[in-house]
Amino acid sequence: MNMSKVEPSVIKRQFNAPRQLVFDAWTKVEHLNHWMFPMQGCTCEFVSADIRDNGSSLHKITMPNGHEMWLYTKYEEVNSPDRLVFLQYMSNQEGEIVHANPVPNWPKDMLATLTFEDIDENNTQLTFLWEPVDPTEEEIKAFEETRAQHESGWGAGMAQLENYLGSLDA
Amino acid sequence: MARTKTTYDVFSAIGEPKRRVLIEQLVLKEMTVNELVEKVQWPQPVVSKHLGVLKQVKIVREKKNGRHRVYRIQPEELRPIQEWMHQFEKYWGGTLDQLDHYLNNIQARGKNEHE
Repeated sequence: MNMSKVEPSVIKRQFNAPRQLVFDAWTKVEHLNHWMFPMQGCTCEFVSADIRDNGSSLHKITMPNGHEMWLYTKYEEVNSPDRLVFLQYMSNQEGEIVHANPVPNWPKDMLATLTFEDIDENNTQLTFLWEPVDPTEEEIKAFEETRAQHESGWGAGMAQLENYLGSLDA
Repeated sequence: MARTKTTYDVFSAIGEPKRRVLIEQLVLKEMTVNELVEKVQWPQPVVSKHLGVLKQVKIVREKKNGRHRVYRIQPEELRPIQEWMHQFEKYWGGTLDQLDHYLNNIQARGKNEHE
């Protein structure tokens, strides 16, 4: 029962850029600071970046409302330009991991596995897998429940909230 | 009864599933305690207790409307949470959108600028 297998969450994207460039965008600070944030109006600053096998990085994302998030990333595999595997955590500005996720029993370790493939010389397919590492039963449950919520948000309420937040941004 | 008053932040406040249910309801429309009780079918003291926590962290605001107190959501206070609730699809989906813009921009600027 401890060998419970969790189906990873997946995002697939195509980028109109060569594979090496798409990969470098994930591993070089001069690229990362320009895009590593979830929406327009944020800024990103990497304060440390030792992006290689078993390396780590620390960056700060500042939201449009001024809210700051620090993220600590542990790299397990940096295999240019094919594969990138990392664990990312919310942290403080010293890079010490803080467990601030509001979801009870949210998995402590979430692993991201990125695979970069050529579509042709100027187009790249990125497959992004996201899954808990050695999750407990409770963590699996939390992960699966949150995944279910991804589809409906928190029900109609969350959809409305998002519309509202969207209008605030405008 | 000497009991330490628990302090909450936005994250711990919505960690409790019942409070998330109340938030969902109040996002749809502002309501009085009685209206909420009717919607969720929990005892009134339970609803009031959780509303109290949501008020403490300012997710919910109380406003007097005649002789009723009406509760409404302060959506701005939920913003930090929102980033996390949808972390994978929203957070990473949004981040990949930024990557897409960025790649298009630097390539349009000239193919020699990056290594």
